[in-house]
Amino acid sequence: MNPSRTSTTKFVVRFLILIAFLVLATWGAHMVKEALNLEIRPGNEAMVHRAIMLGGVAYVGLLALPFVPGAEIGIAMLAAFGPGIAPLIYVATVASMMLAYMIGRFLPISALERFLNLLHMQRAAALVARAAPLSGDDRLAMLLDGQSKRAVRVGLRYRYIALAVAVNTPGNSIIGGGGGIMMIAGLSGIFSPLLAFLTIAIAVSPVPLAVLFLGLRLQ
Amino acid sequence: MSQILQVAAIAMATVGTGAATMTVMKPEIADLAVPEGDWSAGEILDDQSYFIEGVDLDSGTVLQDELVFRDGTFQSVNCQTYCDFGWSNYQTKVLDDVIHFTATTQCPDAPHTVVWYGTVTEDQMQLAGTWTTRRWYWNHQIRFSAEGSTTPPLDPNVTG
Repeated sequence: MNPSRTSTTKFVVRFLILIAFLVLATWGAHMVKEALNLEIRPGNEAMVHRAIMLGGVAYVGLLALPFVPGAEIGIAMLAAFGPGIAPLIYVATVASMMLAYMIGRFLPISALERFLNLLHMQRAAALVARAAPLSGDDRLAMLLDGQSKRAVRVGLRYRYIALAVAVNTPGNSIIGGGGGIMMIAGLSGIFSPLLAFLTIAIAVSPVPLAVLFLGLRLQ
Repeated sequence: MSQILQVAAIAMATVGTGAATMTVMKPEIADLAVPEGDWSAGEILDDQSYFIEGVDLDSGTVLQDELVFRDGTFQSVNCQTYCDFGWSNYQTKVLDDVIHFTATTQCPDAPHTVVWYGTVTEDQMQLAGTWTTRRWYWNHQIRFSAEGSTTPPLDPNVTG
């Protein structure tokens, strides 16, 4: 088969998966909002508070895991609770991304692989196993899988920008999601903790800031 | 050891920055602004109960309540079902034969503050208020207005 045709087919399939994913995420957010039928009253405020706390913890944990589209929990919470919840979602997203980064940076790679296998996250474990024997640069190149050598070179040079772009790219759960990307970034050893933190703090800010200050509504 | 320190440093930086971000980003909501004036400890409304009906100004939800005044203190029967606010001091002032009253009640178990401001003419009450909940991650407010009298409603069930 013609390689360029294969590549086009792959692109179309990924694009369709992305569209389906976005439609499902939007539908999911609607369902959550409908199910909760949220009007915060004195009578249900305590329950809403508990739901937010539980949702927040689940959000941090799930978003930090590779291949888990945990961002949808955040979108669902934004849709359900409105702009008031945006600061919490923003902080939880940064915390989650840094958690994934720290796991990647400090956990022994074999322990990480075993842990992911224990959770039956075979794809994530395979991703880690694939990254293990590679050098730091090559691990970053994994993030830019399928890109030209020039793109990889530019990505390495401007790796923090590449990281921000990768984390924000819609449908990035195909390559590991935000959690997987940050875990690999930590594993690579070429991202300093401080700059990775600043990059993430800026990279994940657009949606919460737009909700909070520009009146963006996710409905 | 150095790794543990690094993890601790990153965790502290994340938590610290998160707390600062919450402080900066979380919009403040002011309680109901009660007009200034010559307020004094309430007693004029003692031994009276007002049955009020009103609405949540944002959602339109109908609210019914009974406000009880006793020994210089005030209690909302409806609010009492959500939190043990207890009896709170109220203040009054009289302008042109109209009694103005205000009270601020605070829930001891949760961060709820309810500010009440009303006027009473003969036995008719006009009321405005805010129920503000200030959690560490957001502030939420219910604004309401209501009116009522000392005459109990035909349906005695008080609902919120």
